[in-house]
Amino acid sequence: MYHWTRIHCKLEFLSKERLSETITASHRSAAGAQPGLPTSPTPGRPTAAQPGPSPARGPIPAAGPPWPGPGGRAGPSRGTRGGSRSIRRRGGRRRRGRPAARGRRTAPAPSPGLRLIISKASQRIPMSSRPVSAREYESSDQFPGHSASPPVPNSSETEGLIFYHMDLYGSNERFDIFPEEPSGQGSRFLGNTRRESALSSEKCQNSHEAGYDMEKEVAELAKMYGLDEDREKELELLGGHLETVGSKWLPAHTQKSGLQDSVYNRSKSSSPVKDQSKSTKHQELPDEVSQDEDQHKARTENEADSHTWFREGLSSSGVSDERSSQAVSEEEEMADVFCCTCKIPIRAFDKLFGEHKDHEVAQLSSAVESEKEEIHKNMCKLEEQIAQVENFASHLEEIFITVEENFGRQEQNFEVHYNDAVQVLAQKYEEQLEALGEEKKQKLEALYEQLVSCGEHLDTCKELMDTTHKLYQENDKVTFMKEAVTMVDRLEKFLKKEVNLKLSTHPDFEERAIDFSEVEQLMNSINTIPAPCAPVINPQAPNAATGTSLRVCWGLFSDDTVECYQLCYKPVSNERHSDEQAEHMLKVKETYCTISNLLPNTQYEFWVSASNASGISPPSERAVYVTAPSPPIIKSKKIRSCENAALVCWESRDVNPVDSYTVELSKLTDEENGDIITESIVGIPNCEALIHLQPAQSYHICVKALNLGGSSERSEPVLIHTTGTYFCLNEDTAHPLLAILDDGFTIACDELENPECDLPVYDNSFTRCIGILGSLIPFPGKHYWEVEAEEDTEYRIGVAFENTPRHGYLGANNSSWCMRHIITPSRHKYEFLHSGMTPDIRITVPPTKIGILLDYESYRLSFYNADIAQHLYTFNSHFQHYVHPCFALETPGTLKVHTGITVPPWTALL
Amino acid sequence: MALKQVSSNKCFEGFQKVFEHDSTELKCKMRFGIYLPPKAETAKCPVLYWLSGLTCTEQNFITKAGFQQAAAEHGLIVVAPDTSPRGCNIEGEDESWDFGTGAGFYVDATEDPWKTNYRMYSYVRDELPKLINANFPTNPERMSVFGHSMGGHGALILALKNPGKYKCQWGKKALGGYLGSDVSKWEAYDATQLVKSYPDSHLDILIDQGKDDQFLSAGQLLPDNFIAACTERKIPVVFRLQQGYDHSYFFIATFINDHIKHHAKFLNA
Repeated sequence: MYHWTRIHCKLEFLSKERLSETITASHRSAAGAQPGLPTSPTPGRPTAAQPGPSPARGPIPAAGPPWPGPGGRAGPSRGTRGGSRSIRRRGGRRRRGRPAARGRRTAPAPSPGLRLIISKASQRIPMSSRPVSAREYESSDQFPGHSASPPVPNSSETEGLIFYHMDLYGSNERFDIFPEEPSGQGSRFLGNTRRESALSSEKCQNSHEAGYDMEKEVAELAKMYGLDEDREKELELLGGHLETVGSKWLPAHTQKSGLQDSVYNRSKSSSPVKDQSKSTKHQELPDEVSQDEDQHKARTENEADSHTWFREGLSSSGVSDERSSQAVSEEEEMADVFCCTCKIPIRAFDKLFGEHKDHEVAQLSSAVESEKEEIHKNMCKLEEQIAQVENFASHLEEIFITVEENFGRQEQNFEVHYNDAVQVLAQKYEEQLEALGEEKKQKLEALYEQLVSCGEHLDTCKELMDTTHKLYQENDKVTFMKEAVTMVDRLEKFLKKEVNLKLSTHPDFEERAIDFSEVEQLMNSINTIPAPCAPVINPQAPNAATGTSLRVCWGLFSDDTVECYQLCYKPVSNERHSDEQAEHMLKVKETYCTISNLLPNTQYEFWVSASNASGISPPSERAVYVTAPSPPIIKSKKIRSCENAALVCWESRDVNPVDSYTVELSKLTDEENGDIITESIVGIPNCEALIHLQPAQSYHICVKALNLGGSSERSEPVLIHTTGTYFCLNEDTAHPLLAILDDGFTIACDELENPECDLPVYDNSFTRCIGILGSLIPFPGKHYWEVEAEEDTEYRIGVAFENTPRHGYLGANNSSWCMRHIITPSRHKYEFLHSGMTPDIRITVPPTKIGILLDYESYRLSFYNADIAQHLYTFNSHFQHYVHPCFALETPGTLKVHTGITVPPWTALL
Repeated sequence: MALKQVSSNKCFEGFQKVFEHDSTELKCKMRFGIYLPPKAETAKCPVLYWLSGLTCTEQNFITKAGFQQAAAEHGLIVVAPDTSPRGCNIEGEDESWDFGTGAGFYVDATEDPWKTNYRMYSYVRDELPKLINANFPTNPERMSVFGHSMGGHGALILALKNPGKYKCQWGKKALGGYLGSDVSKWEAYDATQLVKSYPDSHLDILIDQGKDDQFLSAGQLLPDNFIAACTERKIPVVFRLQQGYDHSYFFIATFINDHIKHHAKFLNA
């Protein structure tokens, strides 16, 4: 409410200052210095008044007395701003009322005294505004009649009065009495206390008078003053809201105490004071009704009750009542039985002879017991009720806070939207006024022009008239005639000109429709939700992708209301025709989505927009996600291994490159459980890995490809035994005449007709020597293999660098080391060739299974007759590079290569 | 059979010693050199017998060949006996360098006046191994024999005539069989002939021949005959004709390591 008021004021200012300023400015420019238009503020007024607080709620400062609040600061000089102030203070008072309510709750059964005082307070409102009279009656406390009235505890009196009176009836007079009090509340508190004591004394006085001098006084007063007049005044004083309960007590009151009051009013107090308080009260009461209805009701009820009570009290006071109470006390002394019918204790004697003769009686003590029990029960019920009410009260308190919070939220919302609306309105108003002013200016200018031309015309007319008149009086005939002719011509000409007497402009202004549509739209939009902002798409989370699916996540701004999201994606393409790539769109309710059926290892672009009933957001930034690669394929035929290592090659199935590969090893145990990964090698950039292994074991090895999106499935595993050295033949190096049989390890040559034939030759193959290279693992240590040959097969076997000349013979150069077997007419001849040189060595038993031991660590290459473990020859050479096994046939025949053989122990010595 | 230590020298953590004893076969005092590798202090070791060539004594090999390092490495006891009985006062024993003293040829003589003393074959085959086995930490199951020149031939004879006795086979330097000289009488000691009658091929013979050996070019060494015989009998032989080497101990020293390793392969297998 406060904010609205502020807006309201703002609007008024706008309309008053800015608008009038612009208007007057336009007037000044249009028609010179003119006084400000008296109607200028009017456009602002109705707008401001429409949603504003009803005038009844706020005091009208100009009409009222100085504001009677505790601070006493607000005055009529504040003008319209006083309106907002008054509202604020009311809120403040309500808040102050809450602790008072709490205090009252802790005393769940208000004493009759308290209620009485409350009633007296409201009853004596007009009196309370006259401290002078109240003080005079303080002495009347000692009057004997007051004992009949119920006791009045001062403490509860104060409490109750604080709650009700606050600043309602505070007056400047009272502040004059306690000017030194620092705070408004403190002064009010004391003031109220004082006032209440005065009131109670009044009451006593009233009852006293009512009891003894009622009739006489009434008669006198009726005589002295008009009864009707007094009654009217009384009604006025009590205010409209008291009339609701007035029916109950008013007749008696006006007749008894009410008349008393008027006595004092007339006799002892000055009427101006009373009038002042009366008028204040009248202004206040409507506010009270509309603002604090609950409080008011409760008070009204209390008042009603207490008035009733009070009337009874009044009626019971008197000599007869006094005597009867005395009789009761006498009976209690002597009673020994209890009459159940009459519900009174009686003497046993009465039971036998008195009026209770036929009544049912009980022993007094037992009757007391049962009655006490009854009371106890009721007490329990009361306690329960207390607890209930207390709970409810605390709940109410929570609601209080919630209401405040909700109010704050709503208030802010309204402020924002109404501010917008007001701005729009102001702008509209300005535009309209400007247009209006412009029109006015044009009109005035047109009119002025016309006026000027009229004046000119008039001048011309007058001049003509004068000239004609002079001519008319000319005596000289000749001259007359001379001039008359020209004059008549001139007159004719002039008169021929039509006089334009039409208004060039109308005083009415154009009809200007006041267009509220925009404001209406604004007002309507107050409760509708705004369209959401663009969502924020998350970058790809690692390992959230598979080869064919992606999980995309995004977020929204928390204030947005979103019904669904539109997720779009398309594959990223380097080509310029990427627009041709189909875009896909999905509607998603959640802030994530898993898209499947995608291509492996492919980049996709994603963007998302949110939508609700009000519209759709702009799309988010584009995020690029990539699917995981396909599992690689291990080239099982190209696996090489030795006792301590294996070299595994694979190929990727995807077109796009992947980030890295991971090799997973599982050592096979006797339990044949190959599923447990015993070792992983990560971050392999190439499609090849040299893996260190333990000798004489079996391993399952598989490969996974990785990219940003995640890792592929595992490749098919390959089995590797680290028993001896395993290699395969490199077919690319084979001479065209050399054939590799199906087992992959037997080379054969059928004919040697023309070794340097025109057969197709590959880049890497041997051209002269019918040979082939094996692919040995590039790993230090010992490597042993055997070659099986027929006794009459001529061959060269040994090792060679990978780049050994393909056009030469093995052993003929310094990049190969060979054992050569040739058959001479007399014998088998064995040569151990390197750089074409051989030692002269005779071997008596032609070996058919040649063992070859390559030992990088001791720089040796040894040949053995593996059948009989006979050492044949050893090359000692520091191999600068890793070498490969080489095999060549010089006569038709076959050589069978055996790999995966443990190095025989007898090779250790030679 | 008391042994009298003549000398003892520490060598490659082992000891090179020379002993003297009275030989029952040869009826004279005989000396032999023995190298005890460091391993012999704690374990029984195989024994490798070296048969020297003409004119040699036990000293030549132990001072010139430089075998001790390889023997120490492989843990072999190497015994180098003398090449013939000495001081037997047989007439004409010192007249020729290649007959009599220093030229026992490792045969048992059957003719007077030699047949009493010149029983080198029996001495090397029986008496000496017994003596060695009784006095040194040897493994009697594992013994081998090799030699140079005449001793090489002797080694071949010993091996071929006693299949199985020598666990392993025969190194032989500069095949020292005078195979053409005493054909009728010495047929039984002709290594080539023996090869032909050798019952199985359970031998591994390594022969190094200096190509510039003066005796080879003089036709006194006929390795081709032996190789042919071995080829025929499928006795595995690697015969290495070493370019530029002669018959000397320099040649021996060059290849002694190969031969000791060769024997060690079998003796330590």
